Amino acid sequence: MNDAALCGRVRSGAGGPHAADPPQRTWGDVRTVAGPPLPESDMLAAIPRLRRYARVLTGDATRADDLVQETLARAWEKRRLWVVGSDLRAWMFTIMHNVFVNQLGLAARDARNVSIDGDSTLAWHLPVRATQHVRVELLEVLRELDRLPTDQREVLVLAAVEEMRYEEIATVLGIPVGTVMSRLSRARERLRRAMAGGDDAAHAPLDVARG
Amino acid sequence: MDKTFTDADAHAYADRQLAPGRVAEFEEAMARDPALAAKVAEIERQNAWLRKGLAAALDEPLPRQLIDAARGAPRRFPRFFAPAFAAAATLVIGLGLGWYARDVTLERAGMPTSFPREAAFAHALYASDSKRPVEVWAPEEKQLVAWLSKRLGLPLRAPDLNSAGYALVGGRLVAGNEKPTAMFMYENSARQRLTLQARTQNGSDETAFRYAVEDGVGVYYWVDDRVAYALAGNLDRAQLLAIGRLVYQQLAAADDRR
Repeated sequence: MNDAALCGRVRSGAGGPHAADPPQRTWGDVRTVAGPPLPESDMLAAIPRLRRYARVLTGDATRADDLVQETLARAWEKRRLWVVGSDLRAWMFTIMHNVFVNQLGLAARDARNVSIDGDSTLAWHLPVRATQHVRVELLEVLRELDRLPTDQREVLVLAAVEEMRYEEIATVLGIPVGTVMSRLSRARERLRRAMAGGDDAAHAPLDVARG
Repeated sequence: MDKTFTDADAHAYADRQLAPGRVAEFEEAMARDPALAAKVAEIERQNAWLRKGLAAALDEPLPRQLIDAARGAPRRFPRFFAPAFAAAATLVIGLGLGWYARDVTLERAGMPTSFPREAAFAHALYASDSKRPVEVWAPEEKQLVAWLSKRLGLPLRAPDLNSAGYALVGGRLVAGNEKPTAMFMYENSARQRLTLQARTQNGSDETAFRYAVEDGVGVYYWVDDRVAYALAGNLDRAQLLAIGRLVYQQLAAADDRR
């Protein structure tokens, strides 16, 4: 049986019946060689946000998890570069963004916007107890978010949803703060017009902002 | 003190990033200028909707592989976030809004989308497709199985249904669900099609064979260890059950050989 099936059979959770957590024993050697371990609870806490942003980047839940896994592996490999006490989340978002852009290249990154109907099939789960009216509005927002040019969408999500500081966003994306502000402003204006029913604004296929 | 506020300031205030020393003045400026106040309010509103729309993603259970990776597990597989798989995944992305809209419609009705129901929809959607029912065709069965196994994170096989008169057409990954679902499609000499779908299942107590009919499509489904299977087709119950048993035996036999 290969590792994947074995993984599936291992019970998750720290309070299992086994005396010790088997995987951690075998990883001991790897950890001490390349530096002290990254703080476990912070790393685990970062996963949901990484997954969410990875979905925004890739437009696909499965590829998103692949991206997160690669990011986590890279973070461990480079852990000497992390300044103890500094923002782990921002550091990991930076790694993830670099992996995404460098491994796939810009072509694939923008290919994410291309699909048969012009709509993404990325299924964001809506809040369970939302009224019909709210759901309709949310679907609209998510659809229009998806239609934004890639650069604008990334900045908007980091600012509005991850609530990152503009300087952090600049670091994550590797651009000047001024560029963060201009993309953010364009993203919000574009989204505003699209939500207000301005179809001309929403369907502007030549307006690929690369500011 | 600089009394003029720019567009960037409005964004910064709405994002709670305006320099603390300028906040009081900015609020005074808003009180004097309704247009400025409206702009800020609009940004805040938009922020709230975006957060609401993306909030649920934070509550999803974490896959074991990511937990291990966060703890520093060495890579078990070769890097599979690589261009070859990007191409395959991109095929999956552009499959149209119809599938997504279905999930949402059911959510609005307050019904959970269950695997048999989803399997029936996927069967109806792809089995009736004459041009591209599958993404990878039977001659490439090895690559198909390898691809789907990697996507699901566990070893899969396409059972041999020739004894029941069904030949493998090929397979695909079904899009639109939170979890990746593998699909194998079979066809008999009368061009009737069956699909076998599989996806990982978190700790379910269901192991028994269950039968359901969804929109005229018969579905046999069961959970075996950590995998949920659904066999779907426009057959009568007895026929579907017989094939379901064949599938189950084949998969169980393969398990025993490992």
